[in-house]
Amino acid sequence: MIEWSERKAYWRHTKVQMLTSLLPFLLALVVLPFYAEVLNDVRVLGIPLGYFLACHGLLVIAFVTMAVFVNRQDAIDHWHGAHEDI
Amino acid sequence: MAATSRTRLVNPRLGTFFGIFSAAFAALVLMTLILEQLGASDLAIRFLMFAGPIALYGAIGLLSPARDTNDFFACGRRVPAFFNGLVLAVSALGGAGFLALTGAFFAVGFDALCLSLGICAGLVFMGVLLAPFLRKFGAYTIPSYLGRRFESQTLRIVAAAVLAVPLLLLLAAEARFAAYASAWLTGQSEHLMAVVMVVCVTLTVLGGGMRSHTWSGSAKAIAALVALAVPATIVAIMMSTLPLPQVTHGNTLRVLMRVESARGLPVLAAPLLAFDFPGEGLEPLAKRFIQAFGSVGSLAFPLMALIAAAGIASSPSLLARPGSTPGVHESRKSFGWAVLTAGIVLLTLPAVAVFLRVMLLDQVIGQPVDRLPAWFASLQKAGIARVDATTPTVSFVNVSFDRDAVLFALSFAAGFPQTLVYLALAGALAAALAALAAALVGGAALLSEDIVHGLQAEGAPDSSRVGAARAAILGVAFVTAWLAVAAPADPLKLFLWSLTFSASAAFPVLLLSVWWKRINSWGAMVGMLTGLSVAALAILLAEMGAWAMPSVLSGAIGLPAGLAATVVASVLTPLPSSNVVNILQEIRVPGGETLYDRELRLQRLKARSPA
Repeated sequence: MIEWSERKAYWRHTKVQMLTSLLPFLLALVVLPFYAEVLNDVRVLGIPLGYFLACHGLLVIAFVTMAVFVNRQDAIDHWHGAHEDI
Repeated sequence: MAATSRTRLVNPRLGTFFGIFSAAFAALVLMTLILEQLGASDLAIRFLMFAGPIALYGAIGLLSPARDTNDFFACGRRVPAFFNGLVLAVSALGGAGFLALTGAFFAVGFDALCLSLGICAGLVFMGVLLAPFLRKFGAYTIPSYLGRRFESQTLRIVAAAVLAVPLLLLLAAEARFAAYASAWLTGQSEHLMAVVMVVCVTLTVLGGGMRSHTWSGSAKAIAALVALAVPATIVAIMMSTLPLPQVTHGNTLRVLMRVESARGLPVLAAPLLAFDFPGEGLEPLAKRFIQAFGSVGSLAFPLMALIAAAGIASSPSLLARPGSTPGVHESRKSFGWAVLTAGIVLLTLPAVAVFLRVMLLDQVIGQPVDRLPAWFASLQKAGIARVDATTPTVSFVNVSFDRDAVLFALSFAAGFPQTLVYLALAGALAAALAALAAALVGGAALLSEDIVHGLQAEGAPDSSRVGAARAAILGVAFVTAWLAVAAPADPLKLFLWSLTFSASAAFPVLLLSVWWKRINSWGAMVGMLTGLSVAALAILLAEMGAWAMPSVLSGAIGLPAGLAATVVASVLTPLPSSNVVNILQEIRVPGGETLYDRELRLQRLKARSPA
């Protein structure tokens, strides 16, 4: 069980982790489609890059974001002793 | 009991059970294929592909009954991350994601990405911002969480009333999608099938509530994924060499781009706020596939993605899901699986659309009207496609295609046996049924736990709570069947409105209830009511044509309004009590006993000890 004195540090750590997980993803989600048209002129293996990044790229980013978040947050929980004792 | 060992809770034979289900499903499809080749009648094949899977889901649902509340509302908190993620992803997508989104990709190409990215981002938002904390709290419904979190019985009732709006819209939409798919599958009328599907889902979840829904939902998710993958993979092998439609449709895209410019498809420029998604029924091809912002404006695109994300993240039918995992860490992990599953589906849908579009542009458009390929003629006869023959050759302007039929029309166009056409339909039906069951169980829990028992003193016995929930399932099912028959609107629009309402009314309050210490019950109540009414007003104004903003984007006003109202009302009213702040500090830490379970345990102890 977490110590009372650890709570503040734990929550600060958690907040920073939330922001570092979500902000880059949110930024990519909002900004990338705007450049799709320009990027479509670039072809990678003949595939228009803008569509490829918006469709495949963002979904991969979403999965990586989630996977990294799960691992990092678990490490934070253990560091502060806030994890579930199973 | 501070925490329980994961290995004791999770059924170690789950993999075996679902292996058996997958084998039975595959055997059913293969057997139907064999029977078709042997000359079985179309009616028999339709019946097998319709009734076979539904009987399997129903059997799983009936074989997992529940007697106590923990089983009925949270599946005993023993669903491992993988299965939880599977059900979560498929019920987030539902019929709207499978049927309408494929059609949207087919008609408007790139612009449909706003919805698919929004749904995927919604799962990420929910997993990072809300789910772990709601799991630690452990309440069975969202109003029950809010009511306990802010220690306000009034807030609980208000929240239940507010959240009923997105839930009812979702129920109507998913029942319509289920009715659409099953009507094609059986050849009966949509109204009849809407009632039949609602009855099937009700019977499946009546015995075990969330428990029945979780395990039959896992089966539905597996069926939906298989049914989506099989036709798309075969077409991918036919069109390229790799059996991976998600990757190889990039190569087919090159062919598509060449054919599109040869056939003279237009490059459009939509106004900033335009949201021109294909409607229900027959719709023409709007623009070139990879061109961005031709049907959805460049401002409407990110707005739609964010509204869909917030709407999915706070969808009352999905937020009960994290509560059924064994722990906080497991609930976070389930979102990893959910994003992965949803991502694979959302990569397959544009592939299906690209394949069908190439076939249409290559084999139909530019051909003489009287010499169209056989598959297109049969699509025309079925009413899925139409050519308005005014010119001797077919051009893209006079071909229109049924939006929701694109998913299974691919199997038609590729010349597959009828069984594979029906398989694609059965998969879409499974997804719609999973989403329908999730919303039905969520709605029934809302009605019985928060409205019926929320008004009484706490501590009702398990049997009466489960009984009330069963009665509520019947009541909600009746309303759903009535809505599905009576609501004439486009089901995709109903789905998007439901997202708008949950994004405006629920998302700001849920977000702040975890991440802002100052929020109090007044803020939560005012925020929910403001979000709901502003979104409703914006939708009403847009539908009357009073302003230029499309009604499905109303969340763009509703969400900020709800957020601002929550903050302002919280700041203007007294600080939350120390008890409320203590609850918040407890839910922020994963370790320790689930709050709601502790409350129930203490209540039971009190009832047992002599006064």
